[in-house]
Amino acid sequence: MIYDCVIIGGGLAGLTCGIRCAEEGLRTVIISGGMNSLHFSSGSIDLAGFTENGSVVKKPFEYIKGTAAKKKEHPYTRVGIPTIRKSLDFFKEKIFFEGITLNHNSDYNHFHVTAIGAVKPTYLSQESVFSSRGKDIIKSGAKIAILNFKGFRDYYPEQTAANLKQHPLFKNSELILGDISLPYYLHTEKNLHEFRSTDIARIFETERYLPRIADEIKRAAGDADAVSLPAFIGINNYREIRGKLEAMTGKFIYEIPTLPPSILGLRIDHAVKNSFFKHGGEYIAGKKIESSVITKGIVESIITGSRGTSSEIKAKYYVLASGSFFSGGLQSGVSSISEPVFDLKVKGDSKRSKWYSWNFFDKKSHPFLSYGVETDSSLNPSTQDGKTVKNLFCAGSVLAGYNPVKEGCGGGVAISTGYKCAERIIREIKK
Amino acid sequence: MNRIETDVIIIGGGATGAGTARDLSMRGLRCVLIEKNDIASGTTGRNHGLLHSGARYAVKDHESAHECMRENKTLRKIAWHCIEDTGGLFVTLPEDDPGYHRLLLEGCRYAGIPAKEISIRKALQLEPNLNPGILSAMTVPDGTIDPFRLTSSNMLDAKERGAIILTHTRVSSILKEGSKVSGVSCITKNGDVIEVMAPVIINAAGVWGQEVCAMADIKLPMFPSKGSMLIIDYRINGVVVNRCRPPADGDIIVPGDTVSLIGTTSKEIPYDKIDDYTIDDDEIDILLSDGEKLIPNVKNTRALRAYCGVRPLVAVSGEAEGRNISRGIVLIDHKERDGLDGLITISGGKLMTYRLMAEKTSDLACKKLGVKKKCKTHKVPLPGSESRFSSGRTVKRFSGIPDSVVGSTFYRHGQRLRNIMTGEKKNYRLICECEMVTEGEIEYAIKKLDVKDLVDLRRRTRIGMGPCQGELCAYRGAGLFHEYGGTTPEGSVELLHDFLEERWKGIRPVLWGDGLRESEFTYWIYQGLFGLSHVNNKKKKKG
Ligand SMILES: Cc1cc2nc3c(=O)[nH]c(=O)nc-3n(C[C@H](O)[C@H](O)[C@H](O)COP(=O)(O)OP(=O)(O)OC[C@H]3O[C@@H](n4cnc5c(N)ncnc54)[C@H](O)[C@@H]3O)c2cc1C
Ligand SMILES: Cc1cc2nc3c(=O)[nH]c(=O)nc-3n(C[C@H](O)[C@H](O)[C@H](O)COP(=O)(O)OP(=O)(O)OC[C@H]3O[C@@H](n4cnc5c(N)ncnc54)[C@H](O)[C@@H]3O)c2cc1C
Repeated sequence: MIYDCVIIGGGLAGLTCGIRCAEEGLRTVIISGGMNSLHFSSGSIDLAGFTENGSVVKKPFEYIKGTAAKKKEHPYTRVGIPTIRKSLDFFKEKIFFEGITLNHNSDYNHFHVTAIGAVKPTYLSQESVFSSRGKDIIKSGAKIAILNFKGFRDYYPEQTAANLKQHPLFKNSELILGDISLPYYLHTEKNLHEFRSTDIARIFETERYLPRIADEIKRAAGDADAVSLPAFIGINNYREIRGKLEAMTGKFIYEIPTLPPSILGLRIDHAVKNSFFKHGGEYIAGKKIESSVITKGIVESIITGSRGTSSEIKAKYYVLASGSFFSGGLQSGVSSISEPVFDLKVKGDSKRSKWYSWNFFDKKSHPFLSYGVETDSSLNPSTQDGKTVKNLFCAGSVLAGYNPVKEGCGGGVAISTGYKCAERIIREIKK
Repeated sequence: MNRIETDVIIIGGGATGAGTARDLSMRGLRCVLIEKNDIASGTTGRNHGLLHSGARYAVKDHESAHECMRENKTLRKIAWHCIEDTGGLFVTLPEDDPGYHRLLLEGCRYAGIPAKEISIRKALQLEPNLNPGILSAMTVPDGTIDPFRLTSSNMLDAKERGAIILTHTRVSSILKEGSKVSGVSCITKNGDVIEVMAPVIINAAGVWGQEVCAMADIKLPMFPSKGSMLIIDYRINGVVVNRCRPPADGDIIVPGDTVSLIGTTSKEIPYDKIDDYTIDDDEIDILLSDGEKLIPNVKNTRALRAYCGVRPLVAVSGEAEGRNISRGIVLIDHKERDGLDGLITISGGKLMTYRLMAEKTSDLACKKLGVKKKCKTHKVPLPGSESRFSSGRTVKRFSGIPDSVVGSTFYRHGQRLRNIMTGEKKNYRLICECEMVTEGEIEYAIKKLDVKDLVDLRRRTRIGMGPCQGELCAYRGAGLFHEYGGTTPEGSVELLHDFLEERWKGIRPVLWGDGLRESEFTYWIYQGLFGLSHVNNKKKKKG
């Protein structure tokens, strides 16, 4: 069978692209080798958080408009403001139907609180991270209880509180600390002190435990108006769980992302995947694309092979959304940077000492974070000989030309470039 | 200002200083050891950790070879929990001079090192990953020794016998009265000044000994020679593999814990660069390509980190290359050399001859103080090595706790395991999964082993030393530092920052392949997810 569109990589970029293609009725398949970055992310979608010199961006679209004119190879330049806006609206709407509401602060960035009490700008967040009610509570200088699950080794609320207190946003708030514990767990064979966020999320998903959890929260939070918890209040029916807990406790419940696996990210991952299925997409997990056949600037097929059994997959259009080094979309050798599936032309220095900065937390961040596949303005890449590959598009963190951490734009680039690839393919197929 | 009176001051908390503190304390003397950084943070923590059989020196330096063999036997008795009896091999590659093999066998015989020629087949049986093209092979009683554990255990013993250990405290001047020393002035991390007064001062500052001597207006030129080493993330050999040729770059692969280590390069450096610790790309290339010749598998294995140390060799005139200088022990009585009574310098030697160096130094110190006690350090086991219980029996005593967890704590702390483990679930939960470091071990280290920050904690426990290089455990460790170490929460976040910067120094030179992947992830977690450098109070002090 020949697909209309094969997408390599089921992360934020590949899935956004997939949903849009499937929605248009294209025969779409996503092939994904392993876990995507959402499993480790904050669960907020960063659009443009920081300027070149590291100061906070207030209005991301305005900022993109300003810098886009200057940086030709930036993915946002390739996509353009109207499509970026459209893609985010599209994304929000799709996952809303899957139980996740993403809020934004009109055209402004809002802040989310990190585990160590830093305050970071982002654009789209779940209600437990940003909502107008939460905003009012912080503004009013309310009392906030920063709670932890007793014995949870992946979160240390003292750090959150101490650093948060020094931030202007929280200077009027009273911050208190507390622990919640759930004695019946102690019956489990597992060492409760080694629980991961996912183990605890499962407990929150168990309806009959909720009243006890609510009692514990009330006890630990006293008369605080708002409560923050490390993000673990359920993955699948989180909107409902949070609603119930708020009703039972009478308190606003905030979530702070901590060490992976990230529950906030997993919620988005599940939601986008469900949406993709609902639109008729096909998802093949646990399969890696090893190589490809390209003739005269056209991809003829891609090849997957696990242990000697290799098979060919053919499509009219291909999308490479295989992520950065971390996900295997890019590779590095002792002195080379490459893209392993198509051997595309990449941006990257051949001298290893140029890849990194001397300090880990250098203000300039690290050059390797902006390495990746180079494309033209339609997101078509080219092979080593400089020939454009016309039926292949690239999206997400496999792309060159931006530093997602330093600029605070990872999610925005993934969604908007994924969407743009879909639009291009839809237009070509409908021609 | 604080003032302490004591009998002997020891400057430098490497193995030599720690061993001296222990020796003197055992002889009933009061002493204060002053270390500017952490214990074993100098050359002691920056070498191969080879428990030499002495064979490496057997051709050119009989005295060193002989010393090694003797100390090798002693340490196996008194410090077994710091030692792994791996055994060693010397193998000749096709490109090497085949005659060296004979020369080495003879040298070993002369120095009393039980070297034994074995067939190539036997060598490959012993070490299956070995280059099958070798021309000849012999076994020697090499082993490995963990320098952090060794130093810490010496410190602990000295402390239990009344010694005072001041870490993160730098000696800034030597006080004199006429032609005698009277004490030192030092500065703590927080800038507090402490004066320590004693009639005898021991300069055990390794390669920094030149600086210390300069404080007493004495010229003692050191010959700094830098050696870089590369750690690969897999124990590709079980036996120490040496190349059978005169010592040169990249000629040894030492197994240790879960990794292997390729050593070393040798580069002359100017004295003002001894604190730089930079590793050049060409050094990495040499280590990889030479390592591959001994064990071809090296090229398929991930490089985990690289680091370097500076050899504390006292320059003797006319030497052209660092490696040609004798590694012999240098003990200087500055009364005889420079007319300054009370100052002793101990330098040169090796990690594994630290005890002997300490003995010689303590003998001299005792002579100066008119104390007639004999050295007992070669007879009394170190804390942790008290009695030889098998790991199996120990594991049984802690039933309910996973064997692997008990096993690795036992491995690191020997019999002191009893002071660490309790049956409580919180006590034995894992904080560092790669190296199986429990919360209990961290609590013990922070409270009992002079741990002041996360980097110190790594030296005592191996937290963050595994394949992930501290991805998750760094944060957990910082959190626990607040709980057990009395650091403020903001302070614990700063410790986290400093720890990751410290790890980066070792990762940076080998940043490719899986190492780069892992670093991208760590960066995302700590900068992307946590916003570590966006935290408000973090800045100023970093320049
Ligand atoms: C740890 C981490 C945390 C992050 N946190 C945030 C955040 O909080 N906010 C934010 O906005 N951005 C964050 N990002 C940025 C992130 O890069 C983007 O937001 C976005 O998730 C990237 O999506 P992607 O689809 O391009 O790539 P990924 O999510 O990396 O997905 C790529 C997928 O492709 C698969 N793959 C790779 N090669 C092959 C192959 N040959 N065959 C088959 N499958 C293959 C991989 O297994 C993976 O599942 C984070 C990134 C990382 C790494
Ligand atoms: C590359 C390399 C590989 C090696 N391999 C081996 C091996 O495999 N086996 C082996 O046995 N030996 C080996 N050695 C030798 C061994 O490492 C050293 O001989 C030994 O560690 C020296 O220990 P030390 O205590 O004398 O010095 P150090 O460990 O350097 O201790 C000196 C201490 O003094 C402190 N100090 C300096 N100035 C001051 C001050 N002003 N105030 C307070 N403190 C101060 C320093 O911070 C330092 O901690 C190797 C050496 C190198 C360089």
